Amino acid sequence: MPALIVLFGFLVLCCLDVPIAVALGIVALAAMTVSGGEAALLNAAIVLYEGAGKFPLIAIPLFVFAGALMNATSISRRLIGFCLSLVGFIRGGLAMVSIVASMIFAEISGSSVADVAALGSILIPGMKARGYPKELAASVMSSAASLAIIIPPSIPMILYAALADTSVVKLFIAGVVPGFLGGGMLMVTAYGFARRYNLPRENMFSFSGIATAFWDAKLALMLPVIILGGIFGGIVTATEGGAVAVVAALAIGFYYRELNGTILRQAIFEGVTHTAVVMLLVATSALLGVYLTETQIPQRLAESVTDFTHNPLVVLAILNLVLFVLGFFLHGAAAIILVVPVVLPLIKAVGIDLIHFGIIVTLNIAVGQQTPPVASVLMVSCSIAKSNIWETSKLNVYFIVTLIFVLLLVTYAPFVSLGLVNLFYAQ
Amino acid sequence: MPLIARWLRLALEAISGVLLVFLTALVTLAAVLRLFGYGVAWYDEVAPILLTWVTYFGAALVTLHRGHLGFDNIVRRLPVRARSVAFVTSEFLTITFFLALAWGGFRLLAVISDERLMTVDWFPAAVAQGVIPITSLAFVAAELLTLPDAWKKLTVSTQTPEIASHLS
Repeated sequence: MPALIVLFGFLVLCCLDVPIAVALGIVALAAMTVSGGEAALLNAAIVLYEGAGKFPLIAIPLFVFAGALMNATSISRRLIGFCLSLVGFIRGGLAMVSIVASMIFAEISGSSVADVAALGSILIPGMKARGYPKELAASVMSSAASLAIIIPPSIPMILYAALADTSVVKLFIAGVVPGFLGGGMLMVTAYGFARRYNLPRENMFSFSGIATAFWDAKLALMLPVIILGGIFGGIVTATEGGAVAVVAALAIGFYYRELNGTILRQAIFEGVTHTAVVMLLVATSALLGVYLTETQIPQRLAESVTDFTHNPLVVLAILNLVLFVLGFFLHGAAAIILVVPVVLPLIKAVGIDLIHFGIIVTLNIAVGQQTPPVASVLMVSCSIAKSNIWETSKLNVYFIVTLIFVLLLVTYAPFVSLGLVNLFYAQ
Repeated sequence: MPLIARWLRLALEAISGVLLVFLTALVTLAAVLRLFGYGVAWYDEVAPILLTWVTYFGAALVTLHRGHLGFDNIVRRLPVRARSVAFVTSEFLTITFFLALAWGGFRLLAVISDERLMTVDWFPAAVAQGVIPITSLAFVAAELLTLPDAWKKLTVSTQTPEIASHLS
């Protein structure tokens, strides 16, 4: 009963537009004070302090900072040039470029919004100029940008790994195949639209064109090698990989003479604010975590579900449905923070691999970024395209279905995500 | 934005920005030293403290921009009178929460006044943990300073600001 009051209180506060992080803190603190009295306030200060200082989460500000620095340089433009030479000859060439460039940018940045902001501001006006309906331009860019959190590095994966106490590097490896598979399938969907709207090709295929564009984008293309090569090669940890990304972005920015005091200040501001928004959620959820631990709610939830079924496939179907519905109303970080600690005992009880579940959660977040009313990536894409979010969603639903297909494939064919992990970590 | 809010914004931007740069430099230095076989004992304790400080000073800064993640879709659809009641309730609860936290935080500092960090034994733990009560008061100040603007916007729209949408 107290748990239901806490849940109801949280929902009421959210409906009153209390920030989600604060709403979590209020209900948890109220519940702790009722059971623990005045001492709960001292305890809350300790929990909030320790909750924000989890070591693996240090990677978050670093990757956000790196992403902001990269957005300020010409990395996006050079990558787009390279992708244009690579796939611009296909019908609907700019849609293909959007997806391929997103896949490459995803290996540098861990945030879909950074991706859509960096590439969309160039590619969406480009697509509109070439006769693409603005709703289609927004849909292609938005769904392609979601690949940024599936293909490593990924901020939601870092968050999940910290909450589930599992390996970030294994999650990164597990995201590679689903990410590129998703990219390939989005290209197929985009090709269908290219045929339907008779969208143009951008150029003729030529090896010399690819070589020239490759040389122009050589530093940008080296970034994934440096960041992911360093992390996967065991040279640096995921956290240190974030620092490498910052140093590389600074080096490229200074090399191209594109960084100045104002840009640096803006990038630092972005790094700080985006980190603070996510980390405050993490910290206050730690407060709720104390209450959940005291009341054993996650364990009781696990027992209730396992009384009904022990079949991991059924449990995954239920969790997919819950995450899909939450995706309409919650931002990705909030969904991870609210769901993962509660369902973790259940996941372990039915024997689902934590890495496998991490990729499923990430894919659900990617879908959630596309489903309004709370659809962070789609909203940015629509604002660039100046298109109505609901009209855009009518076309975007095809891309959402594509992402859901990948999600179901990953859910029910674990080797799609775990194959590479098993290969890398085979004894 | 009133003058005092601008000063608060500048102070929070400067503090959190410097902390982020320090954090980046520290992780980079530790990575380089580790590659050359030198471990830094205090890195594992100091880096999370820097992250905590960035979080709370940054979160107070985000409050000045009213940029924390929220769900305003329901409030925006309410009639003006109901919207006003929701706004006052939301503000009252938020400010009360941070005042309670500041009180608890300051009480805690008195309790741990003799403690030091484990790896940097000259550094008082109270300075590290002082971030909670200090930034709680900064939150309250930020809420109060931006209250008039938020109240004015109430009748127009309370669309989530751009910071909130910049999440993965």
